[in-house]
Amino acid sequence: MSSLRRFLLVSILSVLMLVNFIAALHGYKSSMAEAENLFDQKLTAMALQLSSVPLRSQSNSPAPDDEHMVFQLFNADGKLVWRSVHAPDQYIAANEGLSENNFNDYRWRTLSYFNFVNGHRIMIAERMDLRYRLAERVILESIVPVVVVLPVAALLIWLIVGHGLKSLALLAGILRRKAADDLSAVNIDNTPIELMPVITSMNSLLRRLDDSFERERRFSADAAHELRTPISAIKMHLHNLHEEYPEHNSSLNSLERDVDRLAHLVEQMLLLHRTTPDHYPAKFESLSLAALAGEIIAANYADFSEKEQTIEVRGDEGRINGDRFALRIMLQNLLNNAYKYTQRGGFIKVIIDTGPDSVRLTVSDNGPGISAEVKSRVFERFYRVGGDRHASGSSGCGLGLSIVEHIAELHRATISMSEGEGGIGLAFKVAFPPSLIFGELP
Amino acid sequence: MLLTSVIIIIREVLEAAFLISIILSLCVQLNLTRHWFKWSLAGGVAGSIALGSQFGWVSNLFGGIGQELVDAGLQVFIYLCLLYICFKFIDHYFKPSGSNATFRAILTAVIACAMTREGSEIYIYLLAFQDLPEGGLSLYGGSIIGFGIGFSCCALFYYWILSFSVSRSLLLGCVLLTTMASGMMLQAAKMLIQADLLPDGQLWDSNGLLAEQSLAGQLLYALVGYEATPAPAQLMIYMVSGLTMAGVIIARHQYWRHRQLPEEANQYGN
Repeated sequence: MSSLRRFLLVSILSVLMLVNFIAALHGYKSSMAEAENLFDQKLTAMALQLSSVPLRSQSNSPAPDDEHMVFQLFNADGKLVWRSVHAPDQYIAANEGLSENNFNDYRWRTLSYFNFVNGHRIMIAERMDLRYRLAERVILESIVPVVVVLPVAALLIWLIVGHGLKSLALLAGILRRKAADDLSAVNIDNTPIELMPVITSMNSLLRRLDDSFERERRFSADAAHELRTPISAIKMHLHNLHEEYPEHNSSLNSLERDVDRLAHLVEQMLLLHRTTPDHYPAKFESLSLAALAGEIIAANYADFSEKEQTIEVRGDEGRINGDRFALRIMLQNLLNNAYKYTQRGGFIKVIIDTGPDSVRLTVSDNGPGISAEVKSRVFERFYRVGGDRHASGSSGCGLGLSIVEHIAELHRATISMSEGEGGIGLAFKVAFPPSLIFGELP
Repeated sequence: MLLTSVIIIIREVLEAAFLISIILSLCVQLNLTRHWFKWSLAGGVAGSIALGSQFGWVSNLFGGIGQELVDAGLQVFIYLCLLYICFKFIDHYFKPSGSNATFRAILTAVIACAMTREGSEIYIYLLAFQDLPEGGLSLYGGSIIGFGIGFSCCALFYYWILSFSVSRSLLLGCVLLTTMASGMMLQAAKMLIQADLLPDGQLWDSNGLLAEQSLAGQLLYALVGYEATPAPAQLMIYMVSGLTMAGVIIARHQYWRHRQLPEEANQYGN
């Protein structure tokens, strides 16, 4: 995966380096040419000075020099009358003006100057390697900062590019932290104009998605609500039909079972909508899970008894802050599931255990249990284990555990599934967080 | 000294730098792994120091033509590797799959060898001039500038190739690898001429038109093997190696195109 920050750093630094270095080389060449010119001017000035020195005041002994610059002075007859100590006896240069010559194992820049007034010829030479070295040293002083400053430039580019991309990193962070069901708009302070189209399009998409989910939720809730009245009317008409046509009781009983199932589905759909954490008007109060479980078992005892199932509540009181109505539905659904899928004569246990970090409510049975593959799907809406062909022969609509999940989410509790006691059957465990134990309202 | 250092370093760096940028960008475009690159860099640095430090011994091999033969051998090896790499790049373009160990080894070897050849010459140059009084600042300053220009060209070239579509990148990459590989064969021929194993001569002198030592000349030298005064043997080897590589690439491309046509026909038929 390519990095935008690395691309910007490398490409900007490369352009900067290329342009600066080429400019530095160009500057170096120009400066060297200019320095050459200055050195030549110095040679000319010295030659002029030497040529005007009167010959009678000169001794024939060679003048001392520093080996970097030498001279020869010839009189009008072309005789060498004076020279510096390291200058050769012969003409240094054959040509008039500036030239380059080799002697004394070095290359020299030489000026041959003829004074028309007194007929003197001056030859003055300067070692080229030394003047070149001197010029280069001076010029390099101006080039070195261009090279040295590059790491600083790289660091600054890295920081500036990072600052420029901060909004992008911020947006990535917001999106990363966003919960899967959070479809609220994304807002970033001082959004750069380059990022505005992205944020606007994304927020528009989120809004459309949210509207679409809301429409879907409302549709199922409204449809369920609208179906309640005609179902009640059908039930009433069925009752009348039972009275009027007793000879058709068998068919009418089948019809009644189907209508009951439809009524149950409608009620569950309404409950699913009502218990959605986003808009459930929760009223948290201190309650005992054990007492609540006892109430539900008492209300449905006839059903358990009819299937000869043993049911018991074990453990402690399990006092938490919770919504009584919602928790009642949750327990009702869990017990209802256990009742439906546990065989005749089986046992169902409600275990409440208060620990330091959670209150755990477990509903376990010794029924047939479910496979690992099915476990991952049981919380899906309208999913029913085995469909209508389940060995228990029970009916349902596949919304019960979705409702349980909503209610657990409402209480910030976690649900897990495992095998029942002794590795037989199925156990649902709901762990309520400590904030609910110690009396803080969520 | 500074200018000399810059020219020498650029001349040595550019060729390897272009080779690295073309191969790496094609690997990115064809979704091939680039983990091998760090090994090729390490191999290149180690090879440069090893060859540079043993330069005297290498030069005395084969009756004093060891350096020429080793250099020519490396160039021929790089040419053959590039031929194989282009072949495999075309295969990956038409049939994407993970790179196998042989391909990764060849990629590592080609860059390590290119770096060794150029790096050893830089090593020798720096070692030879570091003690001169005019060295120091101008030598290392010039080297840094040379490296900087080489790196910049390489990085910008890399991103430039990445800016094309995969098919265009492949076309451009294969053309450039062909010219570079032929240029290397031309240099190998030059080495063999220096070793008196091939006849010398001069076909033309285009220095007046484009100086070999200029920046443009150096760029062309690295990309297409520009030589201002080529010998007939060099030109012949350049042409033969270039045409061979181009022929192999075109043949492989045509092979895949013909294999794809019946598949496309079947798809439309279904």
